[in-house]
Amino acid sequence: MFLVRVGRLFISFLASIGNVAVFMLRSLSFGFAPPYYWRQILQQAVQIGYFSLPVVGMTALFTGMAMTLQCYAGFSEFTAENAIPSVVMIAMTRELGPVLTALMVAGRLGASMTAEIGTMKVTEQIDALTTLSVNSYKYLVFPRLLTGTTLLPFLVFIDDIIGILGGYLVGVYHLNFNAANYIRNTFEALTFSDISSGLVKGAVFGFLICLMGCYQGYFSKGGAEGVGRATTNSVVTSSILILLFDCILTFILF
Amino acid sequence: MEFVVEVENLTKSFGTKAVLQGVSLKIRRGESYVVIGGSGSGKSVLVKCILGLIPYDVGSIKINGRDISKLSQKELFQTRLKCGVLYQGGALFDSLTVIDNVSFGLVYGYGMPKKKAYAIALEKLRSVDLDESVARIYPAELSGGMMKRVALARAIATAPDIIFFDEPTTGLDPITSGTINDLIVKCTKEMGISALSITHDINSLKHISNRVGLLHNGKMIWEGSNAELTTTTNPYVVQFINGNSHGPFTSN
Ligand SMILES: Nc1ncnc2c1ncn2[C@@H]1O[C@H](COP(=O)(O)OP(=O)(O)OP(=O)(O)O)[C@@H](O)[C@H]1O
Ligand SMILES: [Mg+2]
Repeated sequence: MFLVRVGRLFISFLASIGNVAVFMLRSLSFGFAPPYYWRQILQQAVQIGYFSLPVVGMTALFTGMAMTLQCYAGFSEFTAENAIPSVVMIAMTRELGPVLTALMVAGRLGASMTAEIGTMKVTEQIDALTTLSVNSYKYLVFPRLLTGTTLLPFLVFIDDIIGILGGYLVGVYHLNFNAANYIRNTFEALTFSDISSGLVKGAVFGFLICLMGCYQGYFSKGGAEGVGRATTNSVVTSSILILLFDCILTFILF
Repeated sequence: MEFVVEVENLTKSFGTKAVLQGVSLKIRRGESYVVIGGSGSGKSVLVKCILGLIPYDVGSIKINGRDISKLSQKELFQTRLKCGVLYQGGALFDSLTVIDNVSFGLVYGYGMPKKKAYAIALEKLRSVDLDESVARIYPAELSGGMMKRVALARAIATAPDIIFFDEPTTGLDPITSGTINDLIVKCTKEMGISALSITHDINSLKHISNRVGLLHNGKMIWEGSNAELTTTTNPYVVQFINGNSHGPFTSN
């Protein structure tokens, strides 16, 4: 009995991966073929790139500050304070920057994407798009996938800068580091791959967030309640996928 | 082409649940055909199959004489521009203004320049008794009756050969229903557009139909003209028209 249940669960899990894959391939193949809906793409770009900035910036600032304090508490015991700036920098660029940005964007943008597309689905607006001769994958899904994938790395980059700045503020003004030394210690340790690996992660996470956001919305059913459920699913699945892929990518990129 | 829509032996099941079991139906050019039937009898599914929104299992569907299963993706989209749809809830795009909604099919479907599309859209708004004052507002700010009218303007904007009406008067007060009925008659009689409507509203039915079909248990069990509707002795039709709780229909 138990085995049957597990087996069934496993099969439905595989089936949903298949469905997501089909959805993704459709969106990409329709999306990359002309004509392009520039207006939709631009609108999404503003949503993702501009309106996410405050949330992402604040998260980064506070994380950078807290990180520096925590490091100080640990490192000062064996007088390794000089390592703090570089540790904070590496933690921000490689891990915290991409992961926190992605999680914040999943909560803010992924959720609203699902709610918007889900509402369109249950109120027959997606059917209306089709009967007015517009491909809904092209019009709704592709612009989000495209802008999510290309713009999340920028958000991650900004997040890196603000996070490091937060660390600097705490280090210099609270822990009384020498400002010039702090900056030198930060940039001496900085390598190109610190930044680039974070940006690659950002692109992958952006794609995942938008894919799950659109997928859950597109297949939501059962009125307003169904849309609510889809929105929760969207945030949960994209958050789990972000952490899963973070782990996989870290193995690959190191 | 005498017929705008020809449906033959259409069968559609969801899983093990058979919804349509061999439905046939033909709509002449200029005719206003109304499908009636109990809740869950598959009326909306029938319309969605005709529009190619959901795939069907067996049978054939022709629009303007062309089998829709044999059309390429591009031809299918071109065919759809010749089909206007008035969705039950209006299905106006929330994020677009009224004028952008009405001109949507012209801009995106026909690739018309915006200025020209807007001019046509305004004209269509006027033909449903609305004016420029609503053009710049968003659907959320409209009343139910206005929403239906805007949706109707959007449906006729692409100059369709046929319009599908899914329960056009449901949820409206009697007077607004009357206005919508008049507008539907205007579309069919004056503009010569064919129509396939679904309705539960007997008043509306008598007003807008030329021909009526009764869908029951996945089959079209009765078909006749508007006049025959009141003279027939078919027990299903009689019960449906009079709204009796006793008769061959059993409520579920
Ligand atoms: N996508 C779907 N998946 C599974 N079952 C469906 C789907 N769409 C419709 N059905 C089923 O098909 C049957 C017919 O549905 P349909 O919406 O066509 O009824 P209807 O005649 O339009 O009813 P109403 O008058 O209440 O609108 C229903 O029992 C419904 O549960
Ligand atoms: Mg229905």
